[in-house]
Amino acid sequence: MAGAKSALVLCMDVGFSMSNSGPGEEPPFELAKKVIQKFVQRQVFAETKDELALVLFGTDSTKNSLDKDDQYQNITVHRHLMVPDFELLEEIENQIHPESQQADWLDALVVCMDLLQTETKEKKCDRLNIVLLTDLNTEANSEQLDVIIENLKQAGITLQFFLPFPAGDDEEGGGDADGRDPGQPGTGKGLSKEQKSGLDMVKHIMLSLDEEDGLGEIYSFRKAIEQLCMFKRIERRPMAWPCQLTIGSCLPIRIVGYKAVTEEKLKKTWTTVDAQTNQKDDVKRETVYCLDDDNETEVQKDDTIQGFRYGSDIVPFSKVDQDQMKYKHDGKCFAVLGFSKQSMVQRHQFMGTQVIKIFSAKDDEHAGVALSALIRALDELNMVAIVRYAYDRRSNPQVGAAFPCIKRDYECLMYVQLPFMEDLRQFTFPSLANNKKFTPSDTQLSAVDSLIDSMMLVEGDDQKDIFKIHHIPNPAFQRHFQCLHHRAVSPGTPLPPMEPWLKAALERPDVISERCQAPLEEIKRKFPLTEVEKKKKLKTSAQIFGKDSEEPDAKKAKGDEEEEEYSLADIAEGSVTSVGSVDPARDFRTLIRKKSLPFGEVCQQLTRRIEQLLSNKNTHYYMKSITCIQAFREQSVKLGDANLYNGYLQSLKRSIPNRGLEVFWDLLVQDAITLISKDEVEGSTVSKNEANQVTPLFKPV
Amino acid sequence: MAEWNAYYKNEDDEEDQEEGELSGGDYKITGRDSLVFLVDASKEMFIKGEDGEPSNFDMTMQVVRSVYTSKIISSHRDLVALVFYGTEQSKNPRNSFKHVYVYHDLDEPGAKRVQDADALRGSKGAQLAAKTMGSSETSLGDALWCCANLYSDIKLRLSQKRLMIFTCRDEPHGGDSVKDRQARTKANDLKETGVTIDLMHLMKPGGFNVASFFRDIVSPPEDESELGLQLEPCAKLEDLQKRVRAKEQKKRAMARLNLCLGEGINVAVGIYATAVSARKQAPVRLYRETNEPVRSKTRTFHTQTGSLLLPSEIKKAQVYSKKQIVMEKDEVDAIKKFDDPGLVLIGFKPMEKLKRHHHIRPAVFLYPEEDEVKGSACLFSALLTKCSERNVFALCRCIARRNYPPRFVALVPQKEEVDEGKAQITPPGFNVIHLPFADDIRTLDPPQCPVASQIQVDKMKEIVSKLRFKYRSDAFENPVIQQHYRNLEALALDMMAPEDMEDLIMPKVDQIDGRLGPLVDEFKDLVYPFNYNPDSKPAAKRKTAGTGGGAEKKPKVEIPEDELRAHMQNGTLGKLTVPVLKEACKQFGVRTTGTKKQELIDALTERLGS
Repeated sequence: MAGAKSALVLCMDVGFSMSNSGPGEEPPFELAKKVIQKFVQRQVFAETKDELALVLFGTDSTKNSLDKDDQYQNITVHRHLMVPDFELLEEIENQIHPESQQADWLDALVVCMDLLQTETKEKKCDRLNIVLLTDLNTEANSEQLDVIIENLKQAGITLQFFLPFPAGDDEEGGGDADGRDPGQPGTGKGLSKEQKSGLDMVKHIMLSLDEEDGLGEIYSFRKAIEQLCMFKRIERRPMAWPCQLTIGSCLPIRIVGYKAVTEEKLKKTWTTVDAQTNQKDDVKRETVYCLDDDNETEVQKDDTIQGFRYGSDIVPFSKVDQDQMKYKHDGKCFAVLGFSKQSMVQRHQFMGTQVIKIFSAKDDEHAGVALSALIRALDELNMVAIVRYAYDRRSNPQVGAAFPCIKRDYECLMYVQLPFMEDLRQFTFPSLANNKKFTPSDTQLSAVDSLIDSMMLVEGDDQKDIFKIHHIPNPAFQRHFQCLHHRAVSPGTPLPPMEPWLKAALERPDVISERCQAPLEEIKRKFPLTEVEKKKKLKTSAQIFGKDSEEPDAKKAKGDEEEEEYSLADIAEGSVTSVGSVDPARDFRTLIRKKSLPFGEVCQQLTRRIEQLLSNKNTHYYMKSITCIQAFREQSVKLGDANLYNGYLQSLKRSIPNRGLEVFWDLLVQDAITLISKDEVEGSTVSKNEANQVTPLFKPV
Repeated sequence: MAEWNAYYKNEDDEEDQEEGELSGGDYKITGRDSLVFLVDASKEMFIKGEDGEPSNFDMTMQVVRSVYTSKIISSHRDLVALVFYGTEQSKNPRNSFKHVYVYHDLDEPGAKRVQDADALRGSKGAQLAAKTMGSSETSLGDALWCCANLYSDIKLRLSQKRLMIFTCRDEPHGGDSVKDRQARTKANDLKETGVTIDLMHLMKPGGFNVASFFRDIVSPPEDESELGLQLEPCAKLEDLQKRVRAKEQKKRAMARLNLCLGEGINVAVGIYATAVSARKQAPVRLYRETNEPVRSKTRTFHTQTGSLLLPSEIKKAQVYSKKQIVMEKDEVDAIKKFDDPGLVLIGFKPMEKLKRHHHIRPAVFLYPEEDEVKGSACLFSALLTKCSERNVFALCRCIARRNYPPRFVALVPQKEEVDEGKAQITPPGFNVIHLPFADDIRTLDPPQCPVASQIQVDKMKEIVSKLRFKYRSDAFENPVIQQHYRNLEALALDMMAPEDMEDLIMPKVDQIDGRLGPLVDEFKDLVYPFNYNPDSKPAAKRKTAGTGGGAEKKPKVEIPEDELRAHMQNGTLGKLTVPVLKEACKQFGVRTTGTKKQELIDALTERLGS
């Protein structure tokens, strides 16, 4: 860890020529400033330990340690070597302006070298780098060039140049070599004499430092901005997982695994702060436990134990017991269970969230040969190894497939997790082919055919992929950092819109959009699509009225009957003015909750409905009546008013024989609906014993 | 338990943890599923097959038991009932039906029920059934009526009502047309109240004729084809189990979205999770005194004033290089929003452009929703046909839910496949494969390794061929989950010890060794030098070429037993070096998995100390 940091000097030309630009072009100064901003931004959010200094040249004033007798004039060390922060970003934003002098860029380079050498003495830096941004428009004194190159070499300092124009068309492998840069402003031809000789010098330096790739470190401003626009993708150091691949008990092969593909997450998460003070410490979250009774009696966490549901049972099962009894295994493992045809393992059965690449152990060529034999054997037979994989003793073992993977410059096994029996859901779906209504006609099929033709994302004979997803940075991260950066440097302003390049990166490529216009129109004509008016939808969205309807929301996962009942009541609330016949129990509850009518009145409405229902001698109506009586009882207990209910039930009971409602009464008894006792509601005149006895004892013969 | 949101869980802040615990089901529809097993208990059901094949009744009970246990694991809130018809004895809520025996009322399955179902298995089960219920005349009408009552007695909202008839008699009433008619009427009544009736017809000598009677009883299949009726009767337990599974799990869309091909061309589709990592359920907190479940409430309050904070009184923050960046909660959500939920077609690519290693999440399944947009199924079907014919996949941008950032997905066509019995093996539709972004791919530095010679490869091929088997995705149970539920079962039923479990993902080492025989040594001779020890740490740097491999003197690391024991007694094992300890482990036949010093010491102490 220690010492693995680099030191870098940004050296920017702010002289007057930097402000010159052709009509409609952005001056080089602005472009160079953008490059610096983007670069620093990236460093800040990456929170690297790398240190950074900023040197400006062409400044009106002079401030550097080499400043002596007219030497090294108009060069300012704006910031010494330190970790970049938002302050620096603000300074770049507000304090760096075009100035009116010119300075020798080689002098500036020397200042930077001196700065690096003096300021890194006490620090351990393993990389020293100078980045020069200039238009090369000042004549540079080339006398010292060789000395400078020699010094750079000795100190191990690397250089990068950023220029307003590409380093030249003739040079293959240059920073812009692959760019056809149409309309690149300030391209080669319009260079001044100074710029031409400057460019030659730059090339000379770069090639002397690195014969092969030297010119690769010369960039144009535009290209650099394009590349820096993306926040650096999240990189993680691959962690080696050494293990042994085993086949049976006596054939081990030493291997090492690396995560090759996995969904990357942002490293930082949001913390909750107080809106006024912005202090995290001012906010505390606390979880309390309470019993499921009316008072929601709180209990201490220590007074709770752990349990698990086993169907309708809840089994107390302490953590200690659980650990004792849980499945245990021998830890780290990559053991072959057998081999199977690759076609038996289908792509859509892959489970888990990662792909692991398995190589042979480092510095063990015998293991290398053994693994290679396995990889090639599998490849030639089109087979795959089914393995048991366990990361370590604490993690759960998996079953997975190890595919052979032979690339031009390496070979490995690729491990993916496969499903357990418990993970699978065997859904059947109605056949599409057997249903005449859904069978597309030949003309419909050919319309789809031409749509596919027009929308192929590959081109050329070699089928070059023109829309590679794995080259697109995760847009969520890009947007996240864009907003964070904006909020950090311009607090108090609304968040910016999404950057255009990001939006464009997620869209259909222009070629495709153009090509598919006509086939799409054809599809539209050939396939009538009509949105189905949802009568039912009204109801469902109404059910969750008040919460956000429509969206499948994670929060709604709870599937609580209770909650649903309330939301049902919610919608009813608006319209319920009396106890209706459709769902009298619900209406009754709603009215009581709303308190718009006196309790006695609502009860009377309910009992009227019950009587009405009971005049139909049918089980269904009996059930409904019972629900009403249950609601009556429940609300009476809640409101502590037992008299109306008890009175009604007793009178109902008396009327049973005359009305021939014995069957109904039996149901009521089965459902254990009793009078409300003194224990439940104080005002009741019925003792608990009586209450329990009243209904069953009653024999209406 | 389609935990779509589980994938995203970590992207949010701590608040989501609470939700995670509660994620019992992730659907917008609430209400319970219900399933009634209506099982024929006539004499015919108890006839054992040839060669000791289990009787139809036995098979049915095994299935019932397995549904009970799987419900307990995956959806314990579903209601299940077990009803027998054609019994001698009667037992039903109001005892108004003769020859109908409600064994289990509609309720959540629990440990007791599993035991009950267990008791009805095998020949003992048959005896028990004969004793408690017996066999007698049949009135399917009464049985269906009784089931209807079971449903109407449930006061909970039911989202799915399913009834499965298990029988091997195609004419249960022996031609009694009155009873036939009554059964049909009752079946219609049931269907009208939203109950789906399935027939699980079992093997019968002479073949099971569905058309004669049951055609009018069962619900018509979803796709209006005759598919459901052409099914052959189930003869094997596996088939029955599969068939019941397929019906018993209600498929629910995780999301319903539009697949947008272009301006104004929206195909309504549902996304289904066909494979979701089953996990141990989250524990429930219980009050120590009474073992009753407690509810948890999480509150956010101000540390100084102690007052509860409203959502408007808190903000979200992140700190970068010592600077705190603050946003409103709404803004944090807004950042994640790119567009409304939906799938947008970008284009098509040949199948070989879909790289096997571009895997970040289990796939989901796409099927049209004709109920949302009429015409969807036709266009979907055309796309499916053409994509699979031309061997291309559709590339789409996908936003699965509100305020979820986009991902790109490959829609891979999958054609329908059916088995000999006309039962569906794979459904028609697109598999949705999530593709990685640049950030999700890690740069590795692959080591340079020698390549094996063809002789070595050929030897390995022999080994591979010896260990061939047919992979089936449902062949492996998760030992962790199985053990967990066995433990719970044992506790719930007061068993002495949990039922034994076979770890199916443990390599059968002895069998493998036996099959390979001398091949292993032959291969090792080809690739490993004499005395090669894969357990040693990075074997001495690159052995000098030419010499006979690792035969060079390895430092003697053995240690006499008495010395070792002395160290152990004095507690000075730690003084020895790791290689010495390892060698000692080998010497005493201690199997160690660890390489850490302490692990070795522990292993040794355990062995020698006992």
